[in-house]
Amino acid sequence: MRIEVMIYIYGAICLSMILFNVVYSLLLRGSKPRLDRRSRKLEGMVQLQLERLRRGEHVEEGHQIRMQRKLRHLKNLMAFDQTLRPLVQEEKDSAIHSYLVELQPTILYLALVYIRRENMQAAYFSYFLSRYMLKRHMPIQTLQDVMLDYARKDNLYCRVNALQALYNFGSPQHICTALQMQTQSSVFLHEKILTEGLLSYTGDHSQLIALLWERLDTFPPHTQLAILNYIRFQTGDYTAQMLELMTNQRADKELRLAAIRYFGKYHYQPALDYLLYFSSQTDPTRWEYATVSVTALACYRGERVVIALKQALHSANWYVRYAAAASLEAQQMDYKQLLDIVSGSDRYAREMMTYRLESRRMQKAGG
Amino acid sequence: MDTIDAFKLFFDYVGAFFILYMIGYASFLFLAVAVGSSTLYQLKRRSGLKNELPQEYYVPVTIVVPAYNEEITIAATIRSLLCLDYKIYEIVIVDDGSTDHTVQVLLDTFHMKQVPRPLHRMVPCKPERAIYEASGFKVPISLICKKNGGKADALNMGINASRYPYFVCMDADSVLQHDSLEKIVRPVLEEGNVVAVGGAVRPCNGTEIENGRVVAYHLPNRLLPCMQVLEYDRSFLAARILFDKFNGSIIISGAFGLFKKSVVVDAGGYDTTTMGEDMELVVKLHVFCREHGIPYRIRYATDAICWTQAPESLRDLRKQRRRWHIGLFQSMSRHRRILANPKYGLVGFISYLYFLIYELFSPYIEIFGVITVILAFFLDLINIPFMIMFFFIYVLYSAILSLTAFFARIHTIDLKLSLSDVAKAIGLCALEVSCLRFIMAWVRATALIGYRANRQSWGKSQRKKIHFD
Repeated sequence: MRIEVMIYIYGAICLSMILFNVVYSLLLRGSKPRLDRRSRKLEGMVQLQLERLRRGEHVEEGHQIRMQRKLRHLKNLMAFDQTLRPLVQEEKDSAIHSYLVELQPTILYLALVYIRRENMQAAYFSYFLSRYMLKRHMPIQTLQDVMLDYARKDNLYCRVNALQALYNFGSPQHICTALQMQTQSSVFLHEKILTEGLLSYTGDHSQLIALLWERLDTFPPHTQLAILNYIRFQTGDYTAQMLELMTNQRADKELRLAAIRYFGKYHYQPALDYLLYFSSQTDPTRWEYATVSVTALACYRGERVVIALKQALHSANWYVRYAAAASLEAQQMDYKQLLDIVSGSDRYAREMMTYRLESRRMQKAGG
Repeated sequence: MDTIDAFKLFFDYVGAFFILYMIGYASFLFLAVAVGSSTLYQLKRRSGLKNELPQEYYVPVTIVVPAYNEEITIAATIRSLLCLDYKIYEIVIVDDGSTDHTVQVLLDTFHMKQVPRPLHRMVPCKPERAIYEASGFKVPISLICKKNGGKADALNMGINASRYPYFVCMDADSVLQHDSLEKIVRPVLEEGNVVAVGGAVRPCNGTEIENGRVVAYHLPNRLLPCMQVLEYDRSFLAARILFDKFNGSIIISGAFGLFKKSVVVDAGGYDTTTMGEDMELVVKLHVFCREHGIPYRIRYATDAICWTQAPESLRDLRKQRRRWHIGLFQSMSRHRRILANPKYGLVGFISYLYFLIYELFSPYIEIFGVITVILAFFLDLINIPFMIMFFFIYVLYSAILSLTAFFARIHTIDLKLSLSDVAKAIGLCALEVSCLRFIMAWVRATALIGYRANRQSWGKSQRKKIHFD
């Protein structure tokens, strides 16, 4: 290829890029006013229907058809989002909730439209649903089934938004199915996202937890961990089950550690012996069990616990010593009770404990 | 063959070499800016369509702030860190034996008290002299005073003092935007195997920032920092986005980067014998993960923004670029085995090769080119009108790419430019590619002379008081 031709081609593309910049800049300037205009138009239409609902009438069929046609366009859906936001936030008008309930056929129609769109638009639609289909009294089976299809899409944001929508209006069965679907995909969902999402569930947590626990073995360890963390944050009713998991030597290490953490949050006397056993582990490959159980012992009292924690302070592992000092400090022990440590010959144990006690003293002095 | 014929032959070869060199560079630059700009616009659209994770997910992060003689800026920097929109983080300041009042400023400003805190020595560093902590603030603040050992050594101390599984390194004269921590953590939540994330570093000269938020954006009044703004967008922003596409980033700026602590510790931490500890660490992470069969990703978060002071004098700029070039040389020579080695994938074939030719060797190649042109001129073997035309094409081409990257960045983060700033950008982009670039080529070409004497230098620039809050 002649060099000149290459220069011309590159030059032409460069110029088109700068032209794109200029056009984009102009469009960007106008996009907000355009969205506001669309939103105002839609607001007028919505307000008419709200008036009807306040008079005890229903949303007009023509309105449903008009909305179905309009909201097929992404920009209109965004404008509708902008219209609804203040109305829903104010919450002083129950008509808006009746309006959203009556709009369900339209929403269902749109769900079937947007599922066929590119991932970004589909993700936006599931975001829209998670935002406005927020009432427990609104679930409709078909919409939940469609949301499962959204949760299956090969796009992280679409999945997260679809799951969020299901947490807002889905049944425990649908949420469980959606979580199971996540394991069959290549899209990674961080356990924090799963745990926080489950915690945001607006329905009966005990029902959801019962179902998740029943099907726990069908999930991979990564999801199981997220579920266990969710249970830990939500309820203390699973002590017996967690004890079984904690003592199950065939169970995944991370799951057993999660079970130990559970007993750090919920005091359960039958778990104490096991916690003491784990805390005394000196095998370097099992330092995580020792660290987590020493941390859990912070909420247990008694001489055996104090002896175990003091022993853990002499561990060769830094994390175990750190956790032991923190747990002893959490037991409100003072210098006198810890004299054997703070004046002992083990420098590492002494330093760790002294730091904890001094930090507490400074915090108290500082108010 | 007479002498003139020999010269002609020589110039023919040089010409052929430069054509290939320039085609390679122009293609890379073009690709980088095109991919970079389109990625920025794509991100903007994505954010508009709420294709993002909600804000309530927090990964605990330690912010390590290494400081050496930072009495002017350190208090403002730490105050700005306290304004971050993030819940679970701690601030660890490591004073590397400052000879000014850095420590006293911190003790007075944040009412810090000395504590007998034991440290977990995971990576080697010089011993600490004293440890202070402050309580009563939004997040815990620790100050570790240690013997002078260089920036890498201070960062290693920060790793040892950190309590959380991820740490952010930053410069003591920089400011993180209010949402930067949330944005830099986002890739960790999006992908399971992220070991490091680079943030976007932007010159703050001329920008007004309040509580980590940009309240007024202007291009700097002085020429030099203004040209650097354009250079940052074209060379750093665009190229890093491109490398990110194939997990090929081999630089995360020391001014703002997030790392998974366990992997950094396993890889040995920062190398205290190099001036480019930031680049060295990233290359080392590539090598470590690939050699140990660890699936990994090194990401670049374009929307995680750190504002930093660009040098305002040529002297400071020269010092900065000299330090960068020495660091580049050290990192590349230390890990030379990855060059074109299939074991290291595209990192060895594209990233390393690009940095070798267009970063490490480029100043020598460019100066050689200028000398050849002068020689040809004296031998009357050059077509002067063509040369001038070619030079103008080069300037125009580079200037347009600079502007494209610059405007793409401005548009996609909702900054507003005044007309005078637009005019300034258009005027200075030509000056930057036609003058500053060659001055910097000379600086970089001479950087390696006597570099061993200053191995652990902090390479300080003149600091100005920052008004961030």
